[in-house]
Amino acid sequence: MSLAEPAALPVATTAAPRLEVIRRFTTRFKASLPAYLLLLPSLVFLALFTYGAMGRVVLDALYQRATPKAPLRFVGLDNVSAVLADPAFTGAVVNNLIYAVGTAVPSIALALLFALALARTHAVSSALRAALFLPVLIPMVAASALFMFIFLPNVGLLDFYIGRLLPVLPNWLGDPDVALYAIMVITIWKNAGYYMLFFLAGLQAVPEDVMEAAHLDGAGPYMRLRHIILPELKPTFLFVIVIATLNAVTQVDHVFVMTQGGPSNSTNLVLFYIYQQAVEHYDVGKASAATLLTLAALMSLTALSFRTMANRDGGP
Amino acid sequence: MLFSRRLMLGLAMAGTLASALAFPALAGEGPTEIDLFFPVPVDGKLARDMGTLIKEFNEGHPDIKATAVYTGSYDDTLIKTRAAIKAGKPPSAVIMSANFLLDMQIENELTNLDALIKADGTTKEQFLGQFFPALQGNAVINRSVYGVPFHNSTPLLYINADKAKEAGLDPNKPPQTWAELTDWAKKLTKRDGDKVTQWGIAIPCAYDYCGWMMETLTMSNGGRYYNEEFGGEVYYDTPSMLGALSWWNDLIYKHKVHAPGATPGPAVSTSFISGNAAMMMLSTGSLTYVRDNAKFAYKVAFIPRNVRNAVPIGGASLIIPAGLDADKQKAAWTLIKWMTSPEKSGWWSRATGYFAPNMAAYKTPEMVDFLNKNPDAKTAVEQLDVAKPWFATYKTVPVRKNLEDEVMLVLNGKKQPKEALVAAQKAADETLKPYNAETSLKLP
Repeated sequence: MSLAEPAALPVATTAAPRLEVIRRFTTRFKASLPAYLLLLPSLVFLALFTYGAMGRVVLDALYQRATPKAPLRFVGLDNVSAVLADPAFTGAVVNNLIYAVGTAVPSIALALLFALALARTHAVSSALRAALFLPVLIPMVAASALFMFIFLPNVGLLDFYIGRLLPVLPNWLGDPDVALYAIMVITIWKNAGYYMLFFLAGLQAVPEDVMEAAHLDGAGPYMRLRHIILPELKPTFLFVIVIATLNAVTQVDHVFVMTQGGPSNSTNLVLFYIYQQAVEHYDVGKASAATLLTLAALMSLTALSFRTMANRDGGP
Repeated sequence: MLFSRRLMLGLAMAGTLASALAFPALAGEGPTEIDLFFPVPVDGKLARDMGTLIKEFNEGHPDIKATAVYTGSYDDTLIKTRAAIKAGKPPSAVIMSANFLLDMQIENELTNLDALIKADGTTKEQFLGQFFPALQGNAVINRSVYGVPFHNSTPLLYINADKAKEAGLDPNKPPQTWAELTDWAKKLTKRDGDKVTQWGIAIPCAYDYCGWMMETLTMSNGGRYYNEEFGGEVYYDTPSMLGALSWWNDLIYKHKVHAPGATPGPAVSTSFISGNAAMMMLSTGSLTYVRDNAKFAYKVAFIPRNVRNAVPIGGASLIIPAGLDADKQKAAWTLIKWMTSPEKSGWWSRATGYFAPNMAAYKTPEMVDFLNKNPDAKTAVEQLDVAKPWFATYKTVPVRKNLEDEVMLVLNGKKQPKEALVAAQKAADETLKPYNAETSLKLP
């Protein structure tokens, strides 16, 4: 769009006397009291099931046992430094970064492609949209169980078909070099249809008149995509990128079902690492510390992207 | 986040339920209510069989009301039991993977069963004497009984008899040594140029199975996986384990009769059923599956030896968690004794494919009849004579994973057996360090 973003309005910052500040604060609080009351029920549940759990994680992260029979004692940030020093954790972070980029980029690209191809509504495109959306409806655990059979070495569906073309195929889930990519394929297959929905919605918001004007000015399909559609879709992109990144951290059902983080930790992701610490190592302190680190990373990422998004939305 | 939220919700619900159940018991009227946590490690039919079993128990014991609670896999069952203990509402009895007992005992999560056995007027020796000797190692810790064997397994060699005959081998004389097995596997591998159309043998390797198979191969090579008397030591960097892993490595990269990479159990059995692998090493727990699905004649045999015939056991024991009221403990003990009696033990064995730990079960007429009809079920029982306990250490799962991660690298051709085992030993020693610090290395 040709409209420039409005400059931020200068705000008067004259210092008021202290009493004045308190008075203003109380009136403001009184004014917003009904709003707080309305929010109270959800706040209670959030406090019980989200903030309460988070508070517990913070507490747990500060305690550790020196030996199995020793009592819990306060260790400060020792758990956090133990997690950061654990090669399994750094390995999981690296895997998770590869996984995040390797699933977000292709699934968003595919989603955009699908959305552009199916933007106009008619019988065929509706049917295709439904078909592309279908993987979203299949629970991740069920999908993983299906893909286990597809990926079976020698006898699986994939080997049955590709095996006719290539003589030697990798053991998809059993080879540490390949397994993470096999897992990524499932995520892309599952999420592309979901992100397509956001892009379809975003495309509806592209103003018709601007498109028509560009058409009349002789802009070709590529020019229209490059200079009108993509800039208009910027908020959608930001939103989908945030969702895709969150998914890359929180969706580990398939790792759980298919590989348990193996072979040789090659598909171990951060959330699965936390699970392992809590359950297999029975080390609540380290698991909580790893959870804290992950939460901090995710929250800062989300805050950053939503601020960027708010800035964009503040524009035209 | 995800797990903690689910856990909180689960705990809240479990707490409400448990308190609702506890009130009638406090009032001193009605039957004692007890929960039994049970996993389903194999086919889904097990859940229904468990329902039948518990219903029969309740009908015969009007003063006890037992409820069977399905808790997922062996690992899930451990998680849920620990969560319930932490919440102060432990289940009264749990069917627990036999090699988790030591770890739970170290964490003070088990009830010592000695007093309950004594109260019955029997000695420990008499009580344990009912079960196959091989199963006692995983049930007894520091000479106290902590578990009662419920259903158990051993690894077996499965042979596609049709393919063996085709290759000029006699399936009635299965390979008894590693040399013979290697020879069989070579004859049973079919190639089409670079492509292998039929593998000679398949051995599973996924977390859990891989460690069990390494213990199997190491034991038949004369070795031990861990210190049976003390939970702070494993023997990864030893000649017997080096021989075991080198042979597995050779089957893949020297003889080329075993598919490269780490293959999980279900993939191995599918491969065997589809004829893609002519032999496999797998648990007796898969016997029912093979019997129902194989469209060819098959044979089962002992795991071949290099030095001696020896295999580890697998399966689960019944335990009573720590921190229960006396009346619940007593009711759970009644349930456990009933479930492991010869008659019920045999019934469960026929329903599931596991073997019955109670030796007297094999003298019941139903069992004699069943074994006559299914002679292949006999091999697992005969192999028990040479079976030994399943590895169990402080933090069994991470210590096992220390080995499995390295074995997987070897099977994928990324490491040589020796360097892999040195790395595994180092990692395991590190995991075991806190336990040794308060036991073997805590000096006066």
